[in-house]
This record gives sequence, structure tokens and C-alpha cells, in this order.
Amino acid sequence: MSDRSQLIFAGKPFLYDQERDAEFERLVKRYPTRESMILPALWLTQEQEGWIPAEAIAYIADRIGTFASQVYEAATFYTMYYLHPMGRNHICICRTLSCYLRGKQEIVDFLRDEIGIKPGEVSNDGKFSLEEVECLGHCGTAPVVQVNGEFHEDMDVEKLKSLLTGLK
Amino acid sequence: MAEMVKLFVNGQEVEVESGKNLIDAFEVIGIEIPHFCYHPALGSDGNCRMCLVGIEDGRPPLVPACKTPVSEGLKVQLDTEKIKKIQHDVMELELINHPIDCPVCDQAGECKLQDYYMSYDHQASRMRVPQVVKEKKMDLGCGVIHDQERCVLCARCVRFTRLITKTGELGIINRSDDARVALFPGRSLDNRYALNIVDLCPVGAMTSKDFRFKQRAWFLKRDKGICHGCSMGCNIFIDHNREKYKDDLIYRFRPRLNPEVNGYFICDEGRLGYHRENEGRLISARIGTEESSADQALQTARRRMEGADKLLILLSPNCSLEQMLAIQALAATTGATVSGFSDGSIKNGDADGYLIQDDKSANRAGLALLGVNTSPEFFESALQRTDTLVSFNNDLFITGPNQAWAKKLGEIQIIAISTHDTLFSRQAGIAIPTASYTEYAGSVINKDGILQTFGQAVCKNSAPLDMIRIAGLLGGTLTDPEALMQAMKRKIPAFAAIETDQIPEKGLKLSHNEAAHVTA
Repeated sequence: MSDRSQLIFAGKPFLYDQERDAEFERLVKRYPTRESMILPALWLTQEQEGWIPAEAIAYIADRIGTFASQVYEAATFYTMYYLHPMGRNHICICRTLSCYLRGKQEIVDFLRDEIGIKPGEVSNDGKFSLEEVECLGHCGTAPVVQVNGEFHEDMDVEKLKSLLTGLK
Repeated sequence: MAEMVKLFVNGQEVEVESGKNLIDAFEVIGIEIPHFCYHPALGSDGNCRMCLVGIEDGRPPLVPACKTPVSEGLKVQLDTEKIKKIQHDVMELELINHPIDCPVCDQAGECKLQDYYMSYDHQASRMRVPQVVKEKKMDLGCGVIHDQERCVLCARCVRFTRLITKTGELGIINRSDDARVALFPGRSLDNRYALNIVDLCPVGAMTSKDFRFKQRAWFLKRDKGICHGCSMGCNIFIDHNREKYKDDLIYRFRPRLNPEVNGYFICDEGRLGYHRENEGRLISARIGTEESSADQALQTARRRMEGADKLLILLSPNCSLEQMLAIQALAATTGATVSGFSDGSIKNGDADGYLIQDDKSANRAGLALLGVNTSPEFFESALQRTDTLVSFNNDLFITGPNQAWAKKLGEIQIIAISTHDTLFSRQAGIAIPTASYTEYAGSVINKDGILQTFGQAVCKNSAPLDMIRIAGLLGGTLTDPEALMQAMKRKIPAFAAIETDQIPEKGLKLSHNEAAHVTA
């Protein structure tokens, strides 16, 4: 595990946009206590900003009516919340057994050589970020890569190359 | 008396109070169940796993004692090989990344990790890999210093800020071996009870900036006292020590459990109030500009009092009941008017509805009980008529010199019997040092009408006289402890009603009539 305690301040106040504001109000009714909204509220933030700035954590705490420290706990506990800005296109590569055996390392090496990013890094132009993740549940069609949340199965270097050229 | 239940511990039958969990119930009968995270004020969290015990009734093999209430016929196992193994394993886990810097740690001597290591672990470390490095000496604010490496993640501090102060500054962030207690970035501890975290911390992760590196815990003598910081009358431990060739000094106050008064905690202001007992004290007696012995000053004071035309005695609302009685008797002998005026010690709007009170004096209820007039009007009219003012540790200038009386105070003789070297004592013609509340025994009544006693804790090298003694030397007739006790019993029927001469440990709640009298 790594230390995720360093939050980054975006330097501007955080607010949900209209759509997510409405979504927050819709979701909050589903739970018996408002504290239950911490995780969905963090997701909404990540959807909107691509990552979770410190201001957003304080905002969520105030909006839910809990302590900033409690939202901070949840945000640092779960590694799928990004606490620093990611690339415009976020690539997740599965590193668990099946994908490992079926050549995920070749894809990782390709990205390192072609785009110049290693797992956990953001490319200099901010276009790509790469993350190695645990099992994505598509072992039958390994290796699997997730680009901006979408699954791409039976991945190899050639397929990835054509996939990435279409991205901004 | 609570209902009792019978149960078995390691096959032996014991009787304990019902309604408690195993840890609390067994503690009373002298059986220790080791635990880090459970604290009676914060409830059971069940995160440390140190209190796991076995129950022979088909439950899961192990249950946390902090979450298990006592019940009739329960068969509890504390000493099976399995339990011992668990305790050993939990200790090994806690110590994997612990720096073991006991020689420079303030908690040493009162540390659960040390105690439990000796009782439940006692094995060499098997770790041959580098330890996880975390932040050390973080200043969390409010005088709390945090060492993340020493932390066992029991979350007592986190729960304290969430459940007791409801400020929630702290959280446990990250997970697994990177988990740590931290503040939200850019914020700091911000509440008036923060230093209780230092007491709550079972290990040396939270230390007090004020106490750090000042004294080893095992050198401190722990005496019971009552905080005189406000009218709450919180129960405290006075931790003091006389280092070789030095004077007896107080190093810290700690809260002492009294469920009727303060519970488990005290405020930071009260806790740090011990500084005032060590510093700024009036050391020697003075007549005019000349330093003198206390005897000589008292003789001169007595002559001036006898020569006075209209004598005014000013009592402090911080005096003990015994002192008040002795000084009242002195006033009766000398024909003096007694006033308990001391508006300066009330800070309106400072109370927080928990422990902190507006009234920053310990025994104003005592003044009321003894019928001492505390109104400013009464004091002012008495002051205008008087030619000699004797103040018993009542600092008239507590909020600065009062211009309205400046002229009058300049004209009359002032005899200040004072614990501290203050602006007022410096203006007095005669100043006589006296013992402060950690240096004498006495009784005080708190704002809820609870009568509490405290003993003498500190014994100074050149101990200043107690106010009772001073009252006697100035001509007072009521100075004998036995006579004072009887006088108190006459004034307080509830005290007279109990058989012993001892006020109970938890204090004596005065009856409704007396309480009404107190607030009158």
C-alpha cells in the first residue's frame, strides 16, 4: 500500500454541476443515514472532475453534515478514488493471474516505450494515465484493458495501438 | 447497588455487577482483560482485538470482551493456550512497526504497550525487514504532538473528537500498514478539551507539548486534588515531584474520574492551570517597601488591624470552606465587615455547556452558604467607610486596576494576603504570602452544590502559611481542624447527617434546601 495522505488543492471552490447536484439529491434518499452518501458523493466528484481535490472533500463533508476527516478517511482508503489529476484518458490494465499469464506485461512495456508512462504515472501532455489494477473479472478473455471505464478484451499491442490513436 | 450476576472465569465462579461489559465488570474484581481501543467514555469499538476471550457456549470461538455484556452463568475463558496465542499475536502485530523508542518516549512507565509486552508477549521481534516510516512529532495544534510511528490505531483520539468534543478533527486515513491518524490538510485540532487525547492514548503516540521531556512518569507523585480553575470543581490528579536540591513543583494535572462531576475529562485551561501554582507566586512578606519575615509582617498587620477604625475583610471565592469559616471568625473577633465581592473572576459567555463554566472561582457557592455578601454595591459602600482593607487572596485588580476605587484605595491601608505576586498585592502596604490550593487541604462546593474535599499535595521548601493559620495569627479564634469540622457540620446539615467526618470520595450532594440556600 502507499501513503495517500497528500491531498491536492485545486485552488478553486468545488461545487457539483447541475446534473450531479440533482443526482446527489436523488441518491441521498436511498440511505437511512446521510453518512452513507460519502462513497457515492466521492464518485460523483470523480465523474465530474476526473479526480478528487481537497476542496471537494470538504464540500462533501459539509453537504452531508459530517466531518471532513471522515470523508478524507474514505477517500484515502479506496484506491479507486484518484486524489490527483489523471490523464484525459485513463487506462487500467489488469495485473492479476490470467492477464499476467496472457501477456499484460507486453502491453505495459509498449505503453512505457511508446507513450512514456509507467503504472501510476500521467503522460507529460496530460493525455494518458496508466494504472495497474487487480482482477477486472474478464479472465476468460485476458488480457483485459479498461480505457475510460470501457472494457477491451483479448488485448494485444496492435489492438491497443489502434485503440489509442482514436483518442484525443 | 447494581444487580449482581454470577459467572465463571477460567472455571472459577465470580460475582460481578450486571449491565457492564466483561472488561469493566472484571476490572472491579481485579481481573485484567488487556485492551487498547476500549474506553468506558468512548464505548467499545472492537478494532484492536486485544480483548478477545473465549466463551464456552457454542458462540464463535473468540469474542471481543469489550462488546460482550456479562450475563448469568457465562463461562469465560481468559487463560487458554488459544487466548494466550491471540494476545501474543496481536502484540506482535502492534510491535511490527513500533519504533520501541521507550527511552525517549514520555509515555514510558504508563504505556499499555510496555505493560502488555511484559504480561502477554515477552518475545524478541521476528521482523527482519525495514519498518514502515511515518511522520514523527507532528504538531496537531492545541499542544498535542503526534508520533504516527508509535500509534497502535486504536482510534480513541478519533472517537474523542467525534463523540465528546464533536469537532471531528482527526481521522484514520489510508489502510493496512500505511494507516495513520491525521488531520484534514490545512486544519488543526481546535477544541478546548484536546489535551485529553494525550491521556486517552494508550501508547506514546499523543504527547503533550507542555509535558514533553519534562519529567519521567515514575518520578511523579500523584495526589488527588480539585481543580480551582472554575466552579465545575473537576477532580484531578496533581502530579508533582521534588527533584534533588530543588523545590516541589507540579508537572501536570490529569483528570480523575468522578461520574458525578467531570466524568473522565477536564478542559485544557484547567489542565494547564498548574503553571499558576508554580509561577508568579508571592515569595516573601513585605511591609511598605521593605522585605520582612512573615511573622513580622503578621504582627504589624495585627497591630494595624487592631488600630483600625472600620475594618473591611475581603474573602476570595476560591478560599476553601474551612478558610472562609476561620476568616469569618476572625471578622467576628475584630468587628470587621466581610465582603466576598469578586466580579472579576466571572467571564460571562465563556461556559460551553460541558465542563467549562463562566465563574472562574471554585467555591462561590461556599460564600453563599456562609451568607457572605458578594454584591458590588455592598462592597463599594463598605469600602467608602473603611480605613483598613484586609484581602484574603482576593485580587481586586484581576481584570486590571479599577479607576473608580483608585483614589479610595490610595488613601486606606491595604493588607494583602496573597498566593501570587499581583498588581494588587504590590499596591498593598503589607503583603503576606499564603499557601495555594495544591498546598493545603480543604473543601469546596461546586456550582451544582456538590461538596468535595481535597488533600494537600505539594509541600514547598519554604511553605507559606495557610490562610487558616494566618487568620489565627491575626486574632481569629476558629483555627482548630476539629472545631472547623464542627462549624462546617453546623452550617451544612447534609454533612452533619453522615456519620463519619469524611466527605465521600465522589463528593456530597447538598440537599435541596441547602442548594437553594447556596444559590440564594
